[in-house]
Amino acid sequence: MGKNQAVEDPNAPLVYDPQYILMVKNLKKHFPIKGGMLARTVGQVRAVDGVTFNLKRGTTMGLVGESGCGKTTTGRVILRLSGEKTDGQVLFNGQEVYDLSPKEMRALRPKMQIIFQDPFSSLSPRLPVGEIIGEAVREHNLVPKAEFNDYIDKVMDNCGLQPFHKDRYPHEFSGGQRQRICIARALALNPEFVVCDEPVSALDVSIQAQIINLLKELQEKYKLTYLFISHDLSVVEHISDTVGVMYLGNLVEYGSTEDIFRNPLHPYTKALFSAIPIPDPKAKMSRIVLEGSIPSPANPPSGCKFHTRCQYCTEKCKKEAPVQREIEPGHYVVCHQYDK
Amino acid sequence: MSDEKKNGNSNQEEQYSLNDDRRVKVLSPGAMVAKRFFRNRLAVTGMVILLVMFLFSFVGGVLSPYREDQVFYRRDYISKEYVGVTENTEYRYLKLSDEYGAVQQAMTVLAIQQENSSFDAKGKTYDVVKEGEGLYSIMDGDTAVGAAYLDIISAEDSSVTFSDEFQYNALLGLVKGGGSFTLDGEDYDVDDTGMITKGGESVAVCSRYIVQSKTSGVIISNEFREALIDHLASEEEVFTFTDANGETAEYELVYDPATKIWSVKQEVSTQVFDTYSSPSKEHWLGTDRNGMDMLTRLMYGGRISLLVGFVVVIIATVLGIILGGFAGYFGGWVDNLIMRIVDIFYCIPSTPVIIILGAAMDGMRVEPKIRIFYLMLILGVLGWPGTARMVRGQILSLREQEFMTATEACGIRVSRRVFRHLIPNVIPQLIVICTMSLGSTIITESTLSFLGLGVKFPYASWGNIINDVSNSFVLTNYWFIWIPAGVCLMLTVLAFNFVGDGLRDAFDPRMKR
Repeated sequence: MGKNQAVEDPNAPLVYDPQYILMVKNLKKHFPIKGGMLARTVGQVRAVDGVTFNLKRGTTMGLVGESGCGKTTTGRVILRLSGEKTDGQVLFNGQEVYDLSPKEMRALRPKMQIIFQDPFSSLSPRLPVGEIIGEAVREHNLVPKAEFNDYIDKVMDNCGLQPFHKDRYPHEFSGGQRQRICIARALALNPEFVVCDEPVSALDVSIQAQIINLLKELQEKYKLTYLFISHDLSVVEHISDTVGVMYLGNLVEYGSTEDIFRNPLHPYTKALFSAIPIPDPKAKMSRIVLEGSIPSPANPPSGCKFHTRCQYCTEKCKKEAPVQREIEPGHYVVCHQYDK
Repeated sequence: MSDEKKNGNSNQEEQYSLNDDRRVKVLSPGAMVAKRFFRNRLAVTGMVILLVMFLFSFVGGVLSPYREDQVFYRRDYISKEYVGVTENTEYRYLKLSDEYGAVQQAMTVLAIQQENSSFDAKGKTYDVVKEGEGLYSIMDGDTAVGAAYLDIISAEDSSVTFSDEFQYNALLGLVKGGGSFTLDGEDYDVDDTGMITKGGESVAVCSRYIVQSKTSGVIISNEFREALIDHLASEEEVFTFTDANGETAEYELVYDPATKIWSVKQEVSTQVFDTYSSPSKEHWLGTDRNGMDMLTRLMYGGRISLLVGFVVVIIATVLGIILGGFAGYFGGWVDNLIMRIVDIFYCIPSTPVIIILGAAMDGMRVEPKIRIFYLMLILGVLGWPGTARMVRGQILSLREQEFMTATEACGIRVSRRVFRHLIPNVIPQLIVICTMSLGSTIITESTLSFLGLGVKFPYASWGNIINDVSNSFVLTNYWFIWIPAGVCLMLTVLAFNFVGDGLRDAFDPRMKR
């Protein structure tokens, strides 16, 4: 992978590199649109349309982008929670996730967990908290029966919950506490990798900080790897080691947080980052305002998907889809501007 | 909060520390539902009514001293017509000579009516001589050729017939106020009461009254006849007769002026079904048209009605959960297929189908007991589509909830996902639907039984108890037949609806208007 070189053939199989816990290549997930009398497939929503990135062990990757760009779907497809993928590869610890039998998949589940955006709908309303957290632990026999209660207490304590909360039901908790329960449920399985699907966007700012700090704390303690999905750039900057920017199902730019925030390359990234408010009334904001709205993923534009809103749009952009290029070490971008 | 105050007095320190564990009492969703339910007065009333109904039906049947189909009898006196007595007012004829034919007889009546002393017939003149009250002799010269008479002679021994000559002589004796005659070498005596004796032995009696037996197989003795005829003169309505064996019987005399017949009626005691008896100490709610204890029938009827309701709802719910669950959880063509079946079931007009099946069972002479099971099965099989549709809808919406995705992400078994996470969240709506449909099922069963297509005699159900009231006479006169069953039915259905409403409000307070 030379500098400013196109990443190798997208169809070539991935080679496992042990420093990466997760390797994703050209991942696609299209949802069929059913219509007509016989419910035939009349079209496809290209929710995830070719996402490639690698995630190092013990780091956090932020995934940003506007609403509907496919961030959440990417997270779920990686965990094999949205049925079968359409195309591409997902290597978790070198193992193709989609090649596993249901039984093997179930055994792998504890290693990769997810924290949901909405702490209200992600907890079963009819089970007490202790059961919610401990159910999967018992299911996978992660701890001996005798130690079970102590283990749950310990996990809850780690997540800032009291042991007596065990007998309570989700409706008795506040949003922040519920999110802690969700985190505890994920961590109780002793995972290596956690997809945090906008875990703080439903919470108010003070609670957001608590949860973010809790996540960071737990990451240090258990050497966790996060895929942190958010549309809040300041949160992503705070927590992430690397950042991926998504637009209409594609990862348009990907690199270390520092590189991306200091030197955004892709026109979309530039526009997105220019929208971060600066907490200084005197500073002049040079906002790049994008024209129009995000196109439909069911009928994406030809060529570069961003060309309809890009100020640097050329004829080539309209016809030819750009490929991922490494501009700086570890800083990838998908744009024809950097083709030279 | 009140707990806090109570505890706080004893321990000042703790009163002010508001630890999280002391703040609120932990309530599971179930306990909260129960709490809300028991706060609802109407629902609790319904619950109490149901409890009473259950005790009444299931325990009452055991406590009742009577069986469901035990028939009661009572002794009843029936006034039966024993004999009829007619006073003879028409003249009868004795033929003492062959020449006294039909023409002469007709002329005789005419002459008697016109009080003529003679008439002409066939070129001859006959004299009509009044021998006494009720006897005329028709004379051709000095010879009696015939006679017209009113008093009828009946022999002591019914096999004996008397010659016209004998009768004429006897009647002559009677109208003369007693006498004797000799015929065929035998001597007979006639007294003024009409008794004809031969050598002191009674052979016949003549009387203006005809006594006819109205009961088959009864031979009326002459003693009875004489006593009765004697009694008629007294014009008393009650007639007592002691027969030769010393047995005394009482008879009632009724005179019908239109037919001029005295009916002699005897009170006969018989055993009859104790039907439609009014409430009494033995039968608190009286008896029905078959003479069975109404209260006991009501208890057993409640048993059947409630049982049918529950079994039908259980069948419908189990089918509904399985089919609706499959449709909702698996989706795709399974869902399509099952929902189309549901649509078909919705198109079936259930009432005519049930009526036809009921009639078919009548035709096949299905045993009443088996019939109840068939009834349950039919109603259950016709009842599941609503439940299936509800369950499917619930599962479809729950399946997309994030907590279901979370269970998948946690690698929890499918069976556990369904039974531990999906079903418990469907249960509230299910319970509400079941409770509501219990009421309507009981109504349906009663309607069918009322129409004679549901539960059949000898088994009781509230519906077929009310079926007894198929005419306005029973409706207006025997309130104890239909009011208790109707009230039980109404209360039970009302209570089920109250409880259903209460449960719905308790499960989801937002649904309360």
